[in-house]
Amino acid sequence: MPGLLSSPVCLTVIWFLSWSLRPGRAQLRTDEVSGVQYGQMQSNVTLACGKSPIRAPVAWHLNHSSALPWHKVASDGALVLLRVDHSAQGNYSCYDARGLLLHSVTLRLGHPPGLLSVSCQVPNHTHVRCSWTESVKTFLPAKYDASFRGTGQEWRPCVLDVARQLCDIYHPAFWQTIHTLRITETNALGSETTSARFRLHELLKPDPPESLLVKALEGHPKRLLVSWDFPASWPLLDAFPLKFQIRYRPQGSVYWSEVFSEESPVVIFDALAGHLHQVQIRAHDEVDSDSQWSEWGPLRFAKPWEVSSTPEAPDELQTEESFTDYFFPFSTKPEISTAKSHNSVHPEDEGNLGLVILLVLFSVVILTTVLSLIFVVWVRQRRRDQVTKQELTSMVKMKSMPI
Amino acid sequence: MNRATVRINSRAKVLLDSSSSLLFSLLLAQLPVFTNASPVPQRRPTDMDKLSNQTKNLMKLTQELLREHAFDSDVEPHRFRSLPEMSNRSANSLNNLELKPTLSQLHADLKLYEHHFEWLNKVSKKHHHPALPKLVEMIREMKSLINLLHRQMLRVEAPRLTQVTPSLPPHLPYQFDVLQSSHELLQHFKLFCDWAYRAFISLKPKVSAAQ
Repeated sequence: MPGLLSSPVCLTVIWFLSWSLRPGRAQLRTDEVSGVQYGQMQSNVTLACGKSPIRAPVAWHLNHSSALPWHKVASDGALVLLRVDHSAQGNYSCYDARGLLLHSVTLRLGHPPGLLSVSCQVPNHTHVRCSWTESVKTFLPAKYDASFRGTGQEWRPCVLDVARQLCDIYHPAFWQTIHTLRITETNALGSETTSARFRLHELLKPDPPESLLVKALEGHPKRLLVSWDFPASWPLLDAFPLKFQIRYRPQGSVYWSEVFSEESPVVIFDALAGHLHQVQIRAHDEVDSDSQWSEWGPLRFAKPWEVSSTPEAPDELQTEESFTDYFFPFSTKPEISTAKSHNSVHPEDEGNLGLVILLVLFSVVILTTVLSLIFVVWVRQRRRDQVTKQELTSMVKMKSMPI
Repeated sequence: MNRATVRINSRAKVLLDSSSSLLFSLLLAQLPVFTNASPVPQRRPTDMDKLSNQTKNLMKLTQELLREHAFDSDVEPHRFRSLPEMSNRSANSLNNLELKPTLSQLHADLKLYEHHFEWLNKVSKKHHHPALPKLVEMIREMKSLINLLHRQMLRVEAPRLTQVTPSLPPHLPYQFDVLQSSHELLQHFKLFCDWAYRAFISLKPKVSAAQ
C-alpha cells in the first residue's frame, strides 16, 4: 500500500485533485473578503456565512480573534450581533469545522441620515453660500444632492463642496421674497431630505471693508484721516452702494465715537491730541436697512499729528505713504451720530466766510429794524408825555381857578 | 412831577425789556434757518434723483408697515398671481439696463402695484386694519412716483406699456386673511422698491447722456 501511495501515478492524481478543488475555495475568499456590510448602531445586525445556508457548525472570528461582541449564532450559521456599538465594527470571518474560511465581511456601523442644520451666507447680491452640519452623526460616508430656487422658480443645482459641507449658488434671482434650499443626504442606511427657507435680503451681510488706513494729518493735532476699500467680494457698481461706520477711541477708553460715511476717505476731527487711537470700520448695504452689518474689520492704531512728531511711522502703524498729498477740503460727507461725536467734517473756509457775512448782514437788518421800532415807540411816547404834561398843566390851572 | 418821571422811567424800562426780548425772539426764530443753511451751494436734484429718492421713501414706508404690523410667517399664501415678475431680475441685469425699456417696465410695474394696494386699501377699510393711515400715505406716494416717472418717460420718449389687468384675490372673509395678504404684498413691494431704486441710480448716467 505505501508503495502504491508513493507511486508517481497516485501522486499525480492527488495533485490533480487538490489543484482542481483549489479554484473553488479561492473564488469564495476573493468574492467575500471584499464585501462591506453596513449596520445601524444600537440595533441587531445579522451577518450571513456566505450565500447558501450552512447546516454544519461554523466558527466566527472578528479581526482574526475569536472574541466577539454580544451575539448569537443562528442555525444556518449566521452571526447575529445584538445591540451593536462601535466596538462591533471590523472584519468578520466564518470558518467551517475544519478551519476553512467560508466567508468574510467588513462590518461598518452608523446611523441613517437625519435632518441637516443649514445656514446660508450672502456676502453680496450675486452669491449665496450655504453650509450644513449633521444633526445626527452618521459615521458613514454620504452622498449629497443640493438644489436651490426662488418662489415659483425651477430648481437650480447648488454647487457642492462635500469636503467642506457647503454649496454655492451664483447669480440667484435675488429679489424674491423666499428662497428654498433642498439638500438630500444619502448613505448606506437611508436618505433624508432637508428643506430650508431663507429671505436672502435679510441675510445679506457684506464682508468687512478692506485696506483700512488711518493717518495723522500734518498740522492738525486733533485730526485723523481714515481711508478704506470696498470689500473685494462686493460688486463695484452704482447699483450697489454701501454705507460705512467708522468707530474710534483713544486707547484705554471704553467709549467709541462713530462716523458714518458712504465714501472714503473721512477725517476724524475730534481725536484726542497726543493719544494713540483705535479705529475700526464695518459696512452695510446702503439701500436695504433689513440687511446686516458686516463684521468689524481689524483694529488699526494711529496717533494724531504732534508738533514734535517726526515724519517717521509712529503716527500710523502702517507705512503706506499714499495719503501724504491729501488736504482739505474733502468730498466726503460723513455724518456723526453718537452723542460723544460732536465734530463737523465740513470745515470749508469759504462756506464759513459766507455764513459769517450772512450772519453779519442779518444782524444789521435786525438791528436796524429794532432801532427803528425803538425810535417809533420813543416818538409816540414823547407825544403822549407831552399830552399828559398839557393835561396836568390844564388840571393845575383848573385847580387854581376859583370856583 | 416825580410820579410822572417814575412812570416814564418804568415805561422806558418796559420798552427796553420788550425790545430786547423782541430782538431775542427774532434771532431765535431765525435759528432754524441758520442751522439748515448750507454754506455750500447744493446741486439741484435731477429727475432721476427725485425718482430714486421717492422710491427710497416708499421703501422706507413699506418697511415701517412691515415692522409695525409684523406678521411672522415664512409661508406665503400666494394670493397675488399678477404681481410684477422678479425672477428674471438678477444683480447682473442691473449692470446693463437700457433706459427706455426699463423706465417703461418700471412704470407698468408700479401701476400694477398701485392697483393691488388700492384693492388692499379697500379691503382693509372693511376690516378696520390698523395700518390704514400709512397705507393711504403709501398709495399717495406711489401715485406721485408714477407721475414723476411718467414725466421722465415723456422726456426720454419711452413708450408706455399696455397695462396688464391684475388678478386680485376674491373676497377675504377674515381679518387674518387681510393681514396675511397685506404682509405678502408689502414683502413683494419692498423688494420691488429695492430693485427699482438700484435701477434708477444705475440709469442716472444714461439719462444725462440721453438728454
